[in-house]
Parts: sequence; C-alpha cells; structure tokens
Amino acid sequence: MIDSLCDQAAGKDIAVVGLYCDFLAQQEQSATSMLGAILKQLVNRGEIPGHTRVAFQKAKREFGGRGLRLSEMVEVLKKAIVSLHRIFVCIDALDELAPKYRLEFLESLQEIVQVSSNMRVLLTGRPHIGEEVMEYFNKAVRIPISPTQGDIKSYLEMRLKRDTTPKAMDPQLRADIMRVIPEKISEM
Amino acid sequence: MSSGRQQVTGNVNSFNSWAHYNNIVNISTGQDAERHQIIQWLSPLEPQQRHEGVRTDRLDSVGNWVLETNEFGKWCDTEDGCAEPVLFCYGNPGVGKTYLR
Repeated sequence: MIDSLCDQAAGKDIAVVGLYCDFLAQQEQSATSMLGAILKQLVNRGEIPGHTRVAFQKAKREFGGRGLRLSEMVEVLKKAIVSLHRIFVCIDALDELAPKYRLEFLESLQEIVQVSSNMRVLLTGRPHIGEEVMEYFNKAVRIPISPTQGDIKSYLEMRLKRDTTPKAMDPQLRADIMRVIPEKISEM
Repeated sequence: MSSGRQQVTGNVNSFNSWAHYNNIVNISTGQDAERHQIIQWLSPLEPQQRHEGVRTDRLDSVGNWVLETNEFGKWCDTEDGCAEPVLFCYGNPGVGKTYLR
C-alpha cells in the first residue's frame, strides 16, 4: 500500500508515511513513540517543521533532551501536518500493539484526524479490533481482506520456485499442492 | 588610485563571497546534525527498516484487487474533500494484509 501511494504521490507535494506494529516490540511501541515515528518520517522528508525544532530545543535545555509527553507529541504532530498539502498514514497490524497503548494511540490519532482535513489514514488489523476502530472512527470504511484464488496460486508458485529441496518434488506432488491448498484456503 | 580602489573592492568582494560560501556549508552541516538529533529524539522506532523487508518479500501481483476497489479509490482520491479519512482493511492472520502493494 505504501509503495502504491508513494508511486502516486511522486512529484506531488504529498507525504506518505508508514508504521508497523509488532507483538515482539510491544514495550517500545507506545502511543507516543508511534506518533513520534510519524513525525520522524516527516522530518526526514524535507524541511524540519518549525514547531518540532522549537520543542526539541526546549527539551534539550530542560533535561538533557527528555522525550515529549503524549499530549505534547499530539500538538507538535498536528502543527507539522497542517503545513503539508496532503498526508497518507498507513498503520499495519494495529492488533499487535499492546491494548493499553492501542487505545491511547487511537484516541490521539482521532484527535489529529479531526483537525487535519488533509490527512488520510489506512489501518490494517485482525477482525476483532474492528469494534475498537469503529469506536474512534465510526464512519471508517471497511474492506475485508482475503486472498483470491489467483493470489494464492501466484504465491504458491513463487514458494515452489524457491524450494530449497527441489529433488523431493515431482509433477504429481506439485499438481496436488497447486490444487488442494487453494481449495482448502477458500473453505476457511 | 582608481585601480587601487578597484583592487580593494575586488578583495572585499572575494572575501564576502568566501564568507558567504563558508556560512552555507556551516548551516547545512549544522542542519543535518540537528535533523539527525531530532530524528533520534522523536522515536526509537524504525518503520523504514521493516518496510524494506516487506518490500523484498512481497509478490507484486498479489492483493492488487484491493487497489481497484471503489472504497480504496475514493479514499485515495486526494481531491475529494468529502471522502471518509479512515480506511480499515481487516482479515485473519496470514491473509496478506501487510503485503498489499
């Protein structure tokens, strides 16, 4: 998604940023560090937003560069977004954020989206967090994702091509794999 | 006399342009250092690294149907001020949500 959006945004004044949530990094993926990672990509992209620089210099003076609190991060991010023409934010696997941080994150994101008409957000996650998402974004457009038969076949072909023990394969086994797996998946 | 003045002016000019050039260099290295510090300070997360991994493993043809849905098209249409800003793509583990192109 990020790459498709980047292709589309190329040459235009559109920012595309992405975040990946991960069970294994739950400790460090707080609402604040997630929002910080959005801002970080904006800083990386071009001019350092004025308010971000001011907040940094202030933090540096105060306590050797202490991090922003969540409410401060929300404010700084809002101001950085206002100055953009358009911004797409893609957040993958929302369900993998720790529940405590997830609610804080969704709440902060809601606060930012409400005042940023130039912002679009893509969330992906397992179905069970749909309710949570709808609590914060009750008009969110939902798309159920399931692979098409064609998707599954392309994927299997790729995996078979990269088979590390090709000698164990014969045409019959290959044909069975290509037939049975897509069938089973569509029954799921 | 006049040629002496010209020489002085010439020197001043070249000094100015040298100083100017030097300032630009200082500003730009200073700014890059600051940018680096700010980036470090903002968040320990490195989503770009994960993105590179996903990109390498992705099969480009898979999941393209999502990009062709009306829902996605409307969400993506940056000129449409009425479009709902949030899109939620959901599915069970392993269906390929991360790997949509």
